Amino acid sequence: MADQATFESDVEEFIPQLYSAALRMTRNPADAEDVLQEALLKAYRGYHTFKAGTNLKAWLYRILTNTFINKYRQKSRRPAEVELGELEDLYLFKRLGDSGTGGASRSAEEEALDQFVDLDIKAAVEALPENFRLPVLLADVEGFSYKEIAEIMDVPIGTVMSRLHRGRKQLQRALWQVAEERGIGTSS
Amino acid sequence: MKPDCREAQAEVYTYLDGEMGFFRKWRMKRHLRDCPPCADGFSFESKLQQKVREDCVEDVPEELMVRVKTFLRQNGPTDPSADPTAGGSDV
Repeated sequence: MADQATFESDVEEFIPQLYSAALRMTRNPADAEDVLQEALLKAYRGYHTFKAGTNLKAWLYRILTNTFINKYRQKSRRPAEVELGELEDLYLFKRLGDSGTGGASRSAEEEALDQFVDLDIKAAVEALPENFRLPVLLADVEGFSYKEIAEIMDVPIGTVMSRLHRGRKQLQRALWQVAEERGIGTSS
Repeated sequence: MKPDCREAQAEVYTYLDGEMGFFRKWRMKRHLRDCPPCADGFSFESKLQQKVREDCVEDVPEELMVRVKTFLRQNGPTDPSADPTAGGSDV
């Protein structure tokens, strides 16, 4: 059992990460702060239910994710589940490789990757439908394992894998659109 | 594309995420050693994951940290209610 008196010092180090995740979830700073505050308050009030010694970070993300899902779905009334078509494996790598520079030098595709700026990446992540964006965020940004993500989102591991893998490919498709517009990967 | 490559590429994420069992991991490593195009593709995927991680981290404004802490102190732990990880009915 965790002690509420130490809550603030226990969770302080996670607040920046939680805020970043909330921003990617809600896509704007005001909503992100709301979700963060509400999640932290729930965590504070329920801190006695947290088993000391277990994974505090995963526990906090679970609360954050639930808070976001509840608030967001009430607000937007958008269907929560969106399906994505199948995309080829190594999608972006292959597109960049086909576009001219690939094959010539080993790192041509990786050099092309450097031309995406952080706003391109953030926009591509934020453009993902919610049920794909959450696993991508939890895995790629927060570094959680499949099992942890399954617990945080309360879905089976197989569902986590399928959404994560398809979400990543969808993200690559969004980046490929940016690449085509900007001529990334096509200059020699 | 060779069947081996197709099989390897279908499992790129399981491998990079460290979620692959011992034997499949061993087979994957052997394939990547023998297949430079797949090795390049895997390296690219890994770099992209790293880039997503780096680019999605935000600096938290100092005022926000202050606001959050003030909010928590004012609204403190008064409600010894249910399990906070429990989702709502629409989860």
